[in-house]
Amino acid sequence: MKKVIKLTNIFLKNSLSNMDAQMGISTKSKSRFLLYGLLFLYFAGLIIYLSYNLLDGLIQIQQEEIFIGMILFMIFGFAIVQTIFSSINVLYFTKDSEYLLPLPLKPYQIILARTNVMLVSEYLIIFLVGCIPLIMYGILTGAGIVYYITMLLAVILVPILPVLLISIIVMGIMSFAKLTKNRSKFQLFATAILLVIVVALSISTSNMQDDLTNEEMAQMLVKANGTIEMIKGYIPTIDYLIEALTTNNLLTTIVEVLKAIAITALSFVMYMLISQKIYFKGLVGNLFGGGASHTQKGIKQKEYKNSKLYKSYVGKEFKSLARNPVFLMQCLIPAILIPIIMVIITYAGLSSDGMGFEQINQMVGQMPINTFMVACIILGVIQFFTMFIYIAITAISRDGENAVFMKYIPVPLYKQYIYKIIPNIIMYMVTIIITLGMAEYILHLSITTLILLFVVATIMGVLQSLVMIIIDLKRPKLSWDSEYAVAKQNLNLIFPVLFSMLNIGIMVGMVGLLKNINVYLGLGILAILYIVATIAINRYVYNNQYKLADKII
Amino acid sequence: MIEIKNVSKSYVKGKKSVDDLNLEIKNGEIFGFLGPNGAGKTTTIRMITGILNIDEGDILIDGKSIKKEPLEAKKNFGFVPDSPDMFLKLKGIEYLMFMADVYDIPQDKRKDKIEELTKKFEIYNDLNNQIQSYSHGMRQKIVICGALLAEPKNWILDEPMTGLDPKSSYDLKEMMRQHAKSGKTVFFSTHILEVAEKLCDRVGIINKGKLVFVGTFDEMKQKFKENASLEDLFLEITEKQ
Ligand SMILES: Nc1ncnc2c1ncn2[C@@H]1O[C@H](COP(=O)(O)OP(=O)(O)O)[C@@H](O)[C@H]1O
Ligand SMILES: [Mg+2]
Repeated sequence: MKKVIKLTNIFLKNSLSNMDAQMGISTKSKSRFLLYGLLFLYFAGLIIYLSYNLLDGLIQIQQEEIFIGMILFMIFGFAIVQTIFSSINVLYFTKDSEYLLPLPLKPYQIILARTNVMLVSEYLIIFLVGCIPLIMYGILTGAGIVYYITMLLAVILVPILPVLLISIIVMGIMSFAKLTKNRSKFQLFATAILLVIVVALSISTSNMQDDLTNEEMAQMLVKANGTIEMIKGYIPTIDYLIEALTTNNLLTTIVEVLKAIAITALSFVMYMLISQKIYFKGLVGNLFGGGASHTQKGIKQKEYKNSKLYKSYVGKEFKSLARNPVFLMQCLIPAILIPIIMVIITYAGLSSDGMGFEQINQMVGQMPINTFMVACIILGVIQFFTMFIYIAITAISRDGENAVFMKYIPVPLYKQYIYKIIPNIIMYMVTIIITLGMAEYILHLSITTLILLFVVATIMGVLQSLVMIIIDLKRPKLSWDSEYAVAKQNLNLIFPVLFSMLNIGIMVGMVGLLKNINVYLGLGILAILYIVATIAINRYVYNNQYKLADKII
Repeated sequence: MIEIKNVSKSYVKGKKSVDDLNLEIKNGEIFGFLGPNGAGKTTTIRMITGILNIDEGDILIDGKSIKKEPLEAKKNFGFVPDSPDMFLKLKGIEYLMFMADVYDIPQDKRKDKIEELTKKFEIYNDLNNQIQSYSHGMRQKIVICGALLAEPKNWILDEPMTGLDPKSSYDLKEMMRQHAKSGKTVFFSTHILEVAEKLCDRVGIINKGKLVFVGTFDEMKQKFKENASLEDLFLEITEKQ
């Protein structure tokens, strides 16, 4: 057991120190503390505010017990989503596995430590989104000490089941990876399956919202037990824990908690038994299987065809993005996935308000659609979606120590910077098209507005990409041992968010300033603003192309 | 031809990693750049290839200054860096075709050149696999192929023998000889004396950033016998084998 704890510690430290290294040297602990502290306070405040409002409403109609089920269910869902994203990386794509396997460790120790890493990193967030609302509940309903103890146990117990479940599924998928010779294709396939699960999940949750917000929802709210009944049918632990948290009988509480613990323990034993059988199979296959396919020897004539340098450079960038599951998940996919999930949720949200399309159309017909304000809102939405495109902000760092390659080939650095941000701009444009398509479907914008919006947003994308590659050039992260360190535990990733916030702020300001301006004129002014900014930044990059590369050695 | 003129470089202020270096590598010559670990070999090569800025002095490659005309200078050399772990997600052939596009090699020459190089190094049959699946030596070989594709007049290699099996090491040395025979220049660094002895027309020895000797291998052995402090250095280099 000691070994397991030690291993867990090492894994956790490994992933945390990646962040530390970037914070500078001496002042790091203070500024990090401040940053995390502020973020924590911000979210805690938000959660307190939200749960207070919700609880207040529920208490007025004496249905506060619904709240418990809701929060537990939310924790469960949260754990599922987070495990989907983290398990494949934690279990398979950390480089330390390579050094770990030869050590005298028992298989179960490694699995346990890896599982702990997933759990611990999940608890950090779950305590925030789970504990705070449940404590609020305790305060507002005047609960006793038993409630708080039970609540803590519940928060600890609920996430375990989803972590185990998703991990087993992932291990199952990955254990096939060894069977298929072509590893990279299989990884893509596995990634695709995970994505399907995410999309399906977001559809089904929005469908559920759908059910809850309809007329049935009103009835269900009246019959509070009905709602809880509906949710807890799915997951036994939640079922028992709701009972434990809402009953007034101490004995019932104890019995129900024990039941939940028993179920969790049982699943855990099963998990350990199954995972020892399938985990290492997949792991070894992944570490040492490496993209060899041997299907075709010799080179076909057409592979010798030459192409223009920009084509082959941008192609190279896309290939290294798409063939690396971590980069694919973190840099490329969000551009497509986030707008799609948003579309689904908005669509479900709109129709669940009891609005059919006719009503929406009617409403839209009465609103002044073709205004500068609506145009700015759409631009703001685009800017919001695109802040998760991490291609340009990692353009240099992704190459790692190989980034020096840029400096010794006879191609001007400026050109290479531009080639490197083209994938970012393309993904940005994909997001623009999806968002504008959605806007057109709902709002029926005029074609001129659409074109103008497309132009302005594209310039925004070019500007953002340029700014981001400048930041990556100034603060590159070139020595890393796992792709994770670049695409996730990288403090530079805050800059796209900051940029988007700033840009949305500018949009709000413009609307305030030019409230009643003609939409075409307003968009024209915006376009000119962004073009001027883009030209200025572009000139800066061009003039300083060699100096900007100073950090790449 | 590579001319290094009064070149200095310090990573940290006050500590020169390369100190007032002067070298001239002539056409048709294999030049071995010797020195123990940390002597400044990689630093020098990084300055020649434009990866590092030069603090003082200048470097000319076939008469083009890497400082003032970097693009022209870079067209004149092929470079094999010390770590061959690059473009791991690309297939061998994709990497070579990318290099061919970078150096603008005409289409009719590509096929012959790639087949010639990769068959000589026996990696032709692996070209359809990702570089990630290659062993260290195979990676080294594909990078060498990429550097030679454009038939550069100057060939610069940083510790090229590391990780190569005896046969490949022999092939590489043969290729260096051929390269020099056709009137071109080979400049490579190593910390192994034996390699330099069999291969080089001339050697330079660098220690703690300073050039301590330039001449033929025989002259070097002669000088080591006469000078006690140089003998220590000789030992240090030999020990690293
Ligand atoms: N990126 C760097 N930052 C600071 N010092 C460096 C860096 N790279 C090399 N050095 C220092 O410069 C000196 C020469 O290193 P290098 O040229 O790599 O030696 P070698 O002859 O082994 O190739 C060493 O003292 C080394 O510590
Ligand atoms: Mg070196």
